[in-house]
Amino acid sequence: MDKFRTIFQYFQSSSESIMNGICLILAVATVKIYSSFDFNCPCLPRYNALYGLGLMFTPPVALFLCGLIANRQSVVLIEEWRRPTGRRKKDPGIVKYLCSSVLQRALAAPVVWILLALLDGKCFICAFSSSVDPKKFSDFANMTASDVQLFLTKVPCKDDELVKDNPARKAVSRYLRCLSQAIGWSIMLMLIVMAFLARSLQPCFDQTRLVQRRYWSNYIDLEQKLFDETCCEHARDFAHKCVLHFFDSMRSEMKARGLAATRQDGVIPWDSAAEAEGQEREEGKKDLLRGIANQKQVNQLLTTWYRSKPPLDITQALQPPPGEGGGSLSHRGTSCPPATRFSQHTDV
Amino acid sequence: MDKFRMIFQFLQSNQESFMNGICGIMALASAQIYSAFDFSCPCLPGYNLAYSGGILLVPPLVLFLLGLVMNNNVSMLAEEWKRPIGQRRKDPAVLRYMFCSMAQRALIAPVVWVAVTLLDGKCFLCAFCTAVPVATLGNSSQVPSLAQQETARLLARIPCQEIYDGEWLIAREVAVRYLRCISQALGWTFVLLTTLLAFIVRAVRPCFTQAAFLKSKYWSHYIDIERKLFDETCTEHAKAFAKVCIQQFFEAMNHDLTLGHSHPKPTKASAEGAEEERGKLHGITDQGTMNQLLKSWHNCKPPLRLDQEEPLLENGWAGGVPGPGPAPILRKEVATYFSKV
Repeated sequence: MDKFRTIFQYFQSSSESIMNGICLILAVATVKIYSSFDFNCPCLPRYNALYGLGLMFTPPVALFLCGLIANRQSVVLIEEWRRPTGRRKKDPGIVKYLCSSVLQRALAAPVVWILLALLDGKCFICAFSSSVDPKKFSDFANMTASDVQLFLTKVPCKDDELVKDNPARKAVSRYLRCLSQAIGWSIMLMLIVMAFLARSLQPCFDQTRLVQRRYWSNYIDLEQKLFDETCCEHARDFAHKCVLHFFDSMRSEMKARGLAATRQDGVIPWDSAAEAEGQEREEGKKDLLRGIANQKQVNQLLTTWYRSKPPLDITQALQPPPGEGGGSLSHRGTSCPPATRFSQHTDV
Repeated sequence: MDKFRMIFQFLQSNQESFMNGICGIMALASAQIYSAFDFSCPCLPGYNLAYSGGILLVPPLVLFLLGLVMNNNVSMLAEEWKRPIGQRRKDPAVLRYMFCSMAQRALIAPVVWVAVTLLDGKCFLCAFCTAVPVATLGNSSQVPSLAQQETARLLARIPCQEIYDGEWLIAREVAVRYLRCISQALGWTFVLLTTLLAFIVRAVRPCFTQAAFLKSKYWSHYIDIERKLFDETCTEHAKAFAKVCIQQFFEAMNHDLTLGHSHPKPTKASAEGAEEERGKLHGITDQGTMNQLLKSWHNCKPPLRLDQEEPLLENGWAGGVPGPGPAPILRKEVATYFSKV
């Protein structure tokens, strides 16, 4: 349990770690998708190459786009790129840094797919079986050119009647698989060498600029997150006060209307001082009623809430109350647009 | 258990991440349901297309609607859309934002279903087996001699290996490979287009309408929170209301009993704790009285009014001993109306 929590906290502590985590999840998902995908070479003249190459390159493009979508920093990057300058200068170096970091992470899953496809060999065999030079294999010496072509087209399909249990098919298949795996391992070696060189030669270049850019790109990301969180808290506070203000205004309105009615029955009106004195003990508990104390009032409150939501303006609620009857109904007139209200609360 | 609670808390910490979580779960469920589903092509000329079309299109629709239903914000959107304007203007941008964000999340599971169906290939095979180009793939010499209906009947059985009897016309394996290849190509194309569309929507938005987007996001979140807080405040109010109402009922019963049966007043207990406990009993201290009270609660609930006195008989016995007549007795418990805003 503790281990789980530590891992969670580690990943949440820095957005870079989150991005790395997502990258890893996407790579694992790629492996899973590849292994569960049922490869099905058509073994038809023109279709083989299309299918094989399509399967080698279309999923990587889709995975690359998924990697960009899943990465929050890509949105941060585009926002930073497109924002109006305003009072904060724009540094193209930060945009470049973000861009390279986003692209590196998004390229991980496509590279995994391509390497898997090459190391497995099925795609390569399907795509290039028709392009094999028949002279390399002695089994084709006795066949006509068109027969050879037909044979080669069927090589990827082990169970096809034409090529079943045929040693020539196995020879061609082994040859192509060997080629495919060689290419796969070469690409992997090249990528690892490039990564190693990039990592180890980095200190030879200007470190300060890199450190600065990393700091400020992290800052932009965190700032955006904090802004969103602050907006959430503000909305919560705003809503809380708005709802309470609504209850208060309903109470005042009903009191103004209700005074006349209750006097007829000869009963004690709500704000009798005698009652108030006795109630201090219960005040804490009874607070929650907020003056709405019978079925009709509650129904009216709920109907009014639906029919006529209060304006998004709690200036009145935040000022000290002038008096009980005075300001109770005046708020109904105001209806400031929401934007002005929002702007007053952005001093974080 | 702890692990689940922690995951739950993490997901709930943010409404958006909670919805993303539900989205992911539905996508996985969609793939799981497909793999558990036993596809069974009818292998009859007219029925193949209908069955496959149904499998391809009906579950996505169901998943889409389920995605909308499981999203709490649907009712919020409907409420905001239909509410009378009153004192608060309606902002169509906010409605659009809410609808778009809900639709985007609800579309993920259907897209996963369609992609998995196409990539698997059984559905496409079943639907289009009668459209296989026999002339190019099979025995082209036999084609003219066959009636169209007979060809259709033969080809319709391609998906069903056990009953296929057209090997002389076209090899089953060849046809299956051909159709599955096309199906998988369509599937990957569909996946590519969907991800491209999603990427464009996400990447292009900051280029154009960022300020408007921030506003819509804030106000849609506000509407959600406001609704929740209103419900919470109403619940608190209802609790307080019920508490006072019941308290008054008990006291009324107690008072009726004191008047009706002339019970001696309970003597003050020596300890304070006992006093508090006695207070909670509201003077009802024997089985018969309690039964009477319960019957009365069922037959004649008190009116929903806390602010004024009622004639005692209203709360009184249902056909029991009549009280001594209404006497104006000051109630001790009345709700106070102070608000601490």
